[in-house]
Order: sequence, then C-alpha cells, then structure tokens
Amino acid sequence: VNRVEKALYHLCRVTLGGVFFYAGFIKAMDVTAFAGEISNYEFLSYSWNFVAAATLPYVEMLAGGLLVANARVRPAALVLGGLTLVFMVALATAAARGLDIDCGCFGAGVATTPLAALGRDAVLLLLAVIVFALRGRQA
Amino acid sequence: MNRQVRRIILEAAVIVTLGALIGLSLHHRLLLDVFAGRTASPPARPATTGTVAAYPSPVDLAEVEELLAAGGLPVDARNPESFQAGHLPGAYSLPLADVSEEIGSFRNKVYLDTILIVYCGGYGCADSFDLAIRLIAEGYREVRVYEGGFPEWRDANRSVAKGER
Repeated sequence: VNRVEKALYHLCRVTLGGVFFYAGFIKAMDVTAFAGEISNYEFLSYSWNFVAAATLPYVEMLAGGLLVANARVRPAALVLGGLTLVFMVALATAAARGLDIDCGCFGAGVATTPLAALGRDAVLLLLAVIVFALRGRQA
Repeated sequence: MNRQVRRIILEAAVIVTLGALIGLSLHHRLLLDVFAGRTASPPARPATTGTVAAYPSPVDLAEVEELLAAGGLPVDARNPESFQAGHLPGAYSLPLADVSEEIGSFRNKVYLDTILIVYCGGYGCADSFDLAIRLIAEGYREVRVYEGGFPEWRDANRSVAKGER
C-alpha cells in the first residue's frame, strides 16, 4: 500500500467517522426535537418517531467513534454506508412527494433542503465506499 | 458468502444493535411516557409573570379526552394552514403569531372560566406553552397544555376535523 493511498484512507476514515459522531451527538442532545424532524418525512407514527430519534443518534455515534478510533473499520463503514443509503432514499422520496422540509440530518438547528442533503449524502456514501475498499487492501 | 463477509455483516449488526440498545436505555423514560400517552416534560421556560400560578398544567391524551367531555375547548396555536389541514374537533384557531390581533375577538367569544386545552405541533413545540401563558395573563383560569399536540392525537386514531375555523 503506497503512502498516498494510506493517507487517503485515514483522511476518509476520520472525516466520515467525525461527521457521523458529530451528527449523532447533536441529535442525541435533543431527542424530542429530532423526533419532530423525523415526523416531517411522514414515514412513522407519533410514538415510533421517538423510537427512531432515541436510537439512530447512538448508532451513528458508535459507528463514527469506531471509525475515528480505527477499530472495526469495515463493519462500521458498512453501517454508515447503509444508513446513508437509507437517508438518501428518505430524502429522495420526500423531494418526490414535494415535501418542503428541513433535512434534520444535523438536528433541528441546521436547515438543509432535501436536494442539498442528497448531494452531501452522496459524498458521505463515497467516503464509506473508499474506507471500506481501502481497509480491505490494507488487511 | 465467504467467512470474512459474514463476519463483517455480523459485526455491523452488532454495532447497530448495541447503538440502538444504548439509545433505548438512555431514553427509556421518555419512550415509556410517549407510548403511555404522557409526552415529554414541559420546556423549561419561566412564566412571563414570574409566578408559579401563571404556568399552565400539561395534560396527556387521556386527560384531554376527559376535559373535552367536560366541555373543554381545544385551542390550536399553530398557523392557519396547519389548522386547515387537520385539527381537533371543535378547536378554536388562535395562532401564536396572530394572538395580539385576535385575542380581543377570542375574549368576546370565550368565557374566562372555560377549560382551555392549548396545543400545537407536538415534539416539544413551545407555541402551546407560550399561548397558554398569554391566555392566563388575559385572565383565563383553567388553561391546560396538551403536549402531544395534533400529531399524537391524529396518530392515536382520534377523530380529526379539517377546513377553516
């Protein structure tokens, strides 16, 4: 493995892990508000929006933290890549249904349109793929 | 599927399960309250008059139904568009943003001893509390706040009215 590849791997790993750890942390700080953000997507009923809001941030923080710590990298990248795909489907259906909502990706305070969030998620998905693939080459 | 792929998928499942369990255990009280129809505790904001009596009492779904049966009036603090899309049957639309212009008309129609059940969009929205505090300051004596708001009412399959006030 050459040095450029190694540097790219570590850069993508820390960036992806850091972004998800941060996103999870700020959402975990106000679970009720995050449940409201999820409700805007009109997928789940009232109570289940709270269940999703209470669990999702901790999955993000755990997987993100593992990536930053360089532990269980491929499983963590798989989790975050899978979550990003789910988010992209949710955002795309929200945009297709004409729902004018904030993404809610970084909690209630940061407003992002579904299309802008889709672009950002595409970058995160690419990072997850790079981390997953490069970790395999290093193993 | 080879052993390495199986192991990665298994470890990914463990990460998801563990993360979810941490979240469920840390927020179990909130979730139990939500599923029991008792929503989140009221936002920590002082009453405008600075007295305890000026702070409205929160009520849950079952209490709302009891109060409605006792002649309580639901008061919707959301904007007119949200009200039109769906509201509690018999609700009075008094958007927080328009309260200064509309409070006179409200006072002419609603007696001060009426039980008022103020609600908004749930999920910790503060408009119902702000409106309730204003109504108490106007002299209303029986003001409650329904924290679950319209989303909890609708998703609990209670009847919903639509259209203009």
